[in-house]
Formats: sequence, C-alpha cells, structure tokens
Amino acid sequence: MTRTTRKLLLPGTLIGLILAVIVLAPVLPLHDVRAMDVPNRFAGPSAAHWLGQDEFGRDVLARLIWGGRASLFIAVGSALSAAVLGTLLGLLGGYFRGVVEALTVRASEVILCLPPLLLALLVVTILGAGTGPLMVALTLLYTPNYARVVYAATLQVRALDFVTAQMAMGAHPLAILWRTILPNVMPPLLVQMSLVVASAMMIESGLSFLGLGVVPPTPSWGLMIRAARGAMEVSPLLLLWPSLALAGTILIFNLLCDRLQAVLDPRNVTAGGALWLRKGPRRAALPAVPAATDGPLLAITDMAISVNTSERSLELVRRADVSVHSGETVALVGESGSGKTLTSLALMGLLPDQLGISRGQALFRGRDGRVTDLAQLDEDGFRRFRGAEISMVFQDAAAALNPVHRIGDQLAEALRDTGDAQEISRRVVDLLRHVGIPDPERRQRAYPHELSGGQRQRAMIALAVANAPRLLIADEPTTALDPTIQAQILHLFQKLKSDTPDMGLIFVTHDLAVVAEIADRVVVMYAGEVVESGPVAQVFARPRHPYTAALIASVPEGAADRLVAIPGTVPPPNAMPPGCRFAPRCAHALPACSAAPPGAERPDPARITRCIRWKEVT
Amino acid sequence: MLRYIAYRSLVALFLVWLVVSLVFLLLHLIPGDPAELLLSQGSLAADPAAVAALRERMGLNDPLWRQYLDHLGGVLTGDLGTSFRDGAPVAEQIALRLPRTLEVIGAATLLAALLGVPLGTYAAVRAGGKADGLLSLLSSIALSTPVFVVGSVAILIFAQKLQWLPAGGFVSFSEDPVQHLKLLILPASAVAISLWAVITRMTRATVIEVLERDYVRTARAKGLSRAPILRRHVVRNAMIPVLTITGLEMGTLIGGTVLVEFVFNWPGLSGYLVSAVDARDYPEVVGIVIVISMLFVFLNLAVDVVNALLDPRISLVKS
Repeated sequence: MTRTTRKLLLPGTLIGLILAVIVLAPVLPLHDVRAMDVPNRFAGPSAAHWLGQDEFGRDVLARLIWGGRASLFIAVGSALSAAVLGTLLGLLGGYFRGVVEALTVRASEVILCLPPLLLALLVVTILGAGTGPLMVALTLLYTPNYARVVYAATLQVRALDFVTAQMAMGAHPLAILWRTILPNVMPPLLVQMSLVVASAMMIESGLSFLGLGVVPPTPSWGLMIRAARGAMEVSPLLLLWPSLALAGTILIFNLLCDRLQAVLDPRNVTAGGALWLRKGPRRAALPAVPAATDGPLLAITDMAISVNTSERSLELVRRADVSVHSGETVALVGESGSGKTLTSLALMGLLPDQLGISRGQALFRGRDGRVTDLAQLDEDGFRRFRGAEISMVFQDAAAALNPVHRIGDQLAEALRDTGDAQEISRRVVDLLRHVGIPDPERRQRAYPHELSGGQRQRAMIALAVANAPRLLIADEPTTALDPTIQAQILHLFQKLKSDTPDMGLIFVTHDLAVVAEIADRVVVMYAGEVVESGPVAQVFARPRHPYTAALIASVPEGAADRLVAIPGTVPPPNAMPPGCRFAPRCAHALPACSAAPPGAERPDPARITRCIRWKEVT
Repeated sequence: MLRYIAYRSLVALFLVWLVVSLVFLLLHLIPGDPAELLLSQGSLAADPAAVAALRERMGLNDPLWRQYLDHLGGVLTGDLGTSFRDGAPVAEQIALRLPRTLEVIGAATLLAALLGVPLGTYAAVRAGGKADGLLSLLSSIALSTPVFVVGSVAILIFAQKLQWLPAGGFVSFSEDPVQHLKLLILPASAVAISLWAVITRMTRATVIEVLERDYVRTARAKGLSRAPILRRHVVRNAMIPVLTITGLEMGTLIGGTVLVEFVFNWPGLSGYLVSAVDARDYPEVVGIVIVISMLFVFLNLAVDVVNALLDPRISLVKS
C-alpha cells in the first residue's frame, strides 16, 4: 500500500460508508420518517427504534439517515454546480486574461467580501426558503473559491512550454484548455471540493436551523436540532444524535481535505519542531578535561558531524582537525558542501536539529582558563559561551537580523552585564561607531531594511563583537556583498584584529585571495574532511595536497593565461568513495588511493596533509 | 508611517463611499416598486392610493440624482432614515444593537486569542509530538462543529444540567453588571471556539516557519535564553499573519453572528437584520448593510495600521 492510499483510506472509507447508507436509504428497512406515534413520544432507544423516538414519536434513526440525505444532497449538489461554474470562469479568466478576467474571476471575487452566512441569508430571503434557493445561494457562495484555484493553476500551466508549443501549432484554445489545463487542475479542485462540501453543510444546517433552509416535514439535521432544543429537558439524546451526525460528517470531510492537501503537498508536513526549545534532562557533570597550562584557544580533533535518522547515521563531516591559537586567524576554505559552515556552526551549538557531533573533541579554553569540550555541551551549556566567549558573523546579514526590531535594540539585547538604560545606549553607540557605521546615534534607531548591505554586515559584526569574544567565527561574511564593500568589510576585520590582539578568528571562505590577505593559517576542507592545513604562505607557495593545488590553480590571476578547472563535482554525502574522497577527481590517483582513507601525514611540523602521494605529486 | 496611515484611510473612505452608492443603486435597480412591495400582503394587490402616498413619503418621485444626494447627505450626517415598520429612526436602533454584537465578537476574539496564541506556539515547538496531535484533533473538531450545535449543547450542559449559567437572554450592563457578564459567557465562548481553532492553527504554522529563520539563529548565537527568543524573535514576528487572519475572521463575524444571537436570544445587530430582511423594511436593511460594510472596511484599515506598526517594512513597501 502506498503512502497516499494509506493516508486517504480512513476518510475515504468513512465517506464511502456515509454515502452508501444515504444512497441506500429508500431500500433499507427503515421506519417511515413521517409516521407519528404520539403515545410513544420521547421514547428512549428500543429494539424497534434504535435511537429512540422524537417529539411526535417518529423514528430518530430513519430521520437521521433521511436528514443526512437532504443535507448531503444540497451540499454535494451545490459543491458540484459551483465547481462547474467556477472552473469555467477560472479557465476563461486565466486563459484569456484582460477584460475576460475582470468579468469572470474578479467579478466573482466580490462575493468573498461579504460574510458567507449573511449572503446566503439574503439570497434565501429574497427567493424564499427551500431546497432550490438554498442551492442557488450555496452555488453563488462557493463559485469564487473554484474560480480562484483554477485561475491560478491555469496561469501556471499556460506558461509551460508544451502549452505554448500547442498554441504555436495552432491548436484551438478550447482544445488546449480541455486537454492540458483541466487534468492539471484536478488535484487542487479535489481539495476545494471536500472543503466546500464541509462548509456548505455548515451553512445549510445553519439556515435550516433558523427555519430558512429545508422546509419541514422533510427531515434535516438542522431542523432536528432546532426541534430538539425545545425538548432538551425531556430528552437530551434528541439533541445529541443530529449534532453528532452533523459535526461528525463535517469533520470527516475536513479530514479528507487535510489529508488530500498533505498528499498533494508533502512539504506542509513538518515534524520535529525546534529541539533546542525543549528543555532536555539535565546532563550529568561533564568529565573533567585535562588542561595544559597553555595550549591553543580551540583544538578540534577528529570531530565528526552526522545526520541522525532512525535507520542509519550518515557522517557529513569527519576527521576535522582544526586548532586556533589566541590572536591567530585561521581560514577555513573549501567548495560549497565541503562542511566548513557545518564545522563552524557546531562550535556554536547551532547545528540543525537532525545533525549532531558524533565523534571527536572540540576543546575550548575559556576566559577563566578552564577547558571545555564543546562537543559535549547541550543547549543550556552552550548558552554560557555564545556571544560572550565565542560568537559568529553570519553570511547573509539581511536575513540574520530581525526585520521588526531596531538595530540598536538588537545590539542592546546582545550585551552582557549591562548597566542602566543610559549606559546601554552609550555602549550601543560606541559599538556602532567602532564598526564604522556613520552617525551611530541616529542609525541605532534604524530598522535593518533601512541600512545598506554593507552597513547591515557592519551591524552584524558589531553584534558579534559586542562582548569582546575570545573566538570570532565569520562565516563567508563578504560573499553576499559588492567587491568594493567586500574590501571595506575585510578591512574592518583587520582593524578588529589589531584592536583586540588576543581574539582568535576563524574566517570561513571559498575565496583564496581573501585568505591570503587576512589569515595566518589555512585549513582546506573537501567533501567533509580536512585535507590539508598549514601556514598560509607555505601552503600557497607549496601545496601538499592535489586538491589544494587544484584550488590554487583555479584562481584567476592577472598573469595566468588559462584557468584550470577541477573536473567533476563533490560527491554527495551518501555516495562517498571508500578511500580518499578526492581520488575520483584527482589527476594523480592510484588504485591504492581508493583502498583506504588516507591518514594524516606531516610534511613539516606545522603542516598536515591527507594524501598518500604527497611526496611524489607535490 | 503617517503618510501610509493617511493613504490607507483615504482608500477606506473611498470603499465606504463605493458601498453606500452600490447599495443605493442595487435598491433602485431591483425590479418592482418598493412601496408596492411593502404594502402588498401575500397575493393581495396594494391600494394604489396608499402606494402613491408612500412613494411621495419615501421620496421615490424625485429624480434619481436627487435621491442619491439625499441618501449620501443622510449617511454623512448619520441619518439612516426611519423604519417602515414602526417609524423609529434606523440609526437609533443600530446604535442600540451594534454594541451588543460587537461585545460578543470582542469577547470571543479576546478569549480565542488568549488561548490560541500560546497553544499554537506550544504545538509548533512540539510539532509532531503528542500534544501537537491532540491540539490538531481538537482544532479540527472545533472547526467542524457548527456554532449553533456548540451553543445548543452548551445550553444543555451548562444551563440545563449543571445550572451554572443562564440559557440566554440579555440584561444591559448598567442594569446588572454581573448578570450581563453571566449572559455573555456562553455566546462569546460559542463564537470563540472556531476562532480559537483558526488562531491556533495559524499560530502553529507561522511559528514553525519563523523558527526556521536566520534571525532566530542569530538570537541564539547572542546567548539569549529560550523565553526571550520565543517572545521577542519568534512569537513577535509570527503575530503579523496571525493578526491579519484574526482581523479578517472578525470582519466575517460582524453580521455573521446571526446563529449565536438566535440560539442565545441575544438582541444584537444580526438578529435585527434577519427580521428587517424578513419584513422587507428597506431603510432598515440599507442602514444595517451600510454600517456592517463600514465596520468591515474600518476593521481592515485597523488591521493594516497595526500590521504596519508591527512590521516596519510594510509601510515602506506599500506607500
């Protein structure tokens, strides 16, 4: 059984059952709906009358089934006629546009401006009560729903190549509409259909309840509820049966609508929510980490980041070895998908919910000299470090700043150990001035959308350095900017480095020119692994891994007569080659390269490479 | 911001003028003589002399443009004419009944929002969990149960069986505040139930969407704890679409509270409209329709303005 049929099975079966009972009502062995039995009025359920008898002694079960027949006949009937009318209007409007659109789709939308019950009420009062007027009112009411859906779908389909081709070949417009557009709008129409049936039953029963819909003695659920209200004290069950039948049927149609929508658009099904918002069980105290008196600010060893699904776990990043000393700038370089952003997010505890650190250590030396393994922290544990000791500049400042709060307020929120309002305001203005935003007193009152791209990135940087963090991670902070602005932002980072000489900086980028300008050391990542690391000047002068060499060769330089592109693409995480991950794209690969993952080799005490042939090929 | 509000107000005024004119036109384009229709009883033809007198009284003999200007002038000065049925000024009747309807809608919205926003947020945070499933089921049931069923069952339970609250009726607040509020509870709750479902679902959907946004990650990166992130960066941003939907739903409720007013015998504007339509009392119908449309338009204006206050980008885009 496919997922689709499984999802639609329950509401489908229930609707089938209801329809079967209603269609078969004339041949079922039911009591006559009008046969009165006054002596036995308000009799409870019995063998002859399963659901009891009403205020005239009539059989409740029979009236319930026949009442459902009336309700559904009206609801389905008007849903169908509205579907035909609305589809026609939508197709015409969407295909011909212009005046036709105004006369069809837009004209029908006027109906949507009025409260639905009010409109139905007006139509019924003008035409009189009864089944016919009710259906006219409901058809009118729901035509715009269909017209809109079909109109939107028609516009979409109309722009498709094969439709344009048919038009060019001179096919008759009506033939095109009939053959190509109609089948395409069927799924959204089905969703509308179930929604409209449910909604039409709601209004039909309401009007019948008011005495303006179905005319007695024809049974209807709305009328039955109306009658039962008078006898509530004597026989509350009489109110219960039609209420349950009505609400239950509407519920089933709504359920069908929800399920249809879920099947047609699986993106809507979001499960999981945000795990970080849920308080987990308190973790036991972290195992003590042996602390050397002086070591790097950050030492990541053999770290792996995995996707955790119930079936299996898949390593997106592995064997990540990165260390940052205080005052040092380390560039994390690689193509998109190489795992450089994931590695930096992991240090902040900001990995997406499905991802987690599955192996290795990330030892961080705090302001108080204590060493903490970031790989072991939970959400609450990370909060102490975020912003205060480790902070991050995100790539797209326009998205990373909240659009509804002023820059100054967002900055004030980030400040730790704050004083009074005046003190906060002074610090905010100082920070903004520090990152080079002109007229900070006025600018702090601006919203993010009122700043230029470069200023937004400056504000983002101000946010990150608000508490003078020991480690700053900048994730492609210049990628989204114009080249001239890029240079300014880069200059700002250099200024920050010289202002706070103890701060470590991890600069994530794919731009080698930027690396040369700002970094002390470089870590090259490929397909989730660190393939080479070392001092920038040395690595650039003599790369010890074929991938690094290829990256450097692909940088456009004034003197170079041709660019060398790396053939092939980064393999997807679920299809990684068993040995060296770069082997399939490497010009120097041998069979041995694909046999086993290469270990870390040290061509020089300061450098690491993961290439078994580094001696021969570099 | 001020320019945006001024612009939106102008559009709203234009819409009100459009509605007033449309209602006037419709009434004069409907085939049949209102005077004759009013005086005819069933199949009996009306007395021609009486019809002529009534036409004169209604101003139907004036040229159309004259009638239109009179009508417009009347609306501008708050004069909506007098009822055919009892000769009472329509504006007075509306002024008496409108606040009662608004009171039910206001109380219902307050109730629905106070319960819907926190529960919707909770469901979003725990999306896919048991509580989320339960809330989704409850809101489906709430959306599927017609308001008169809710009302009738509520009367059965709370008025008949438990005898906690009166079954229906109306006492003005100045007369007996406690009884007034007691009478308000059931109708307001009945209206609130489906509105609660709409708000809960909308809040859940938008909160889930906002949680994915980069600025929420930034808020976490600042080291903020859960509560301020949720309050200032998630719910605050998610409220904009929720507010729009709530405003639209309230608009539909004005004039859509017919069933509740009937079930609980609450003498509001909707019930007045039903009886006016029933009696073909044109001045009453026109007056009520104009007032309801005006409210609808101004409610939309209010939603736009509050949205602009909540999201500073809006006034920039549209003005």
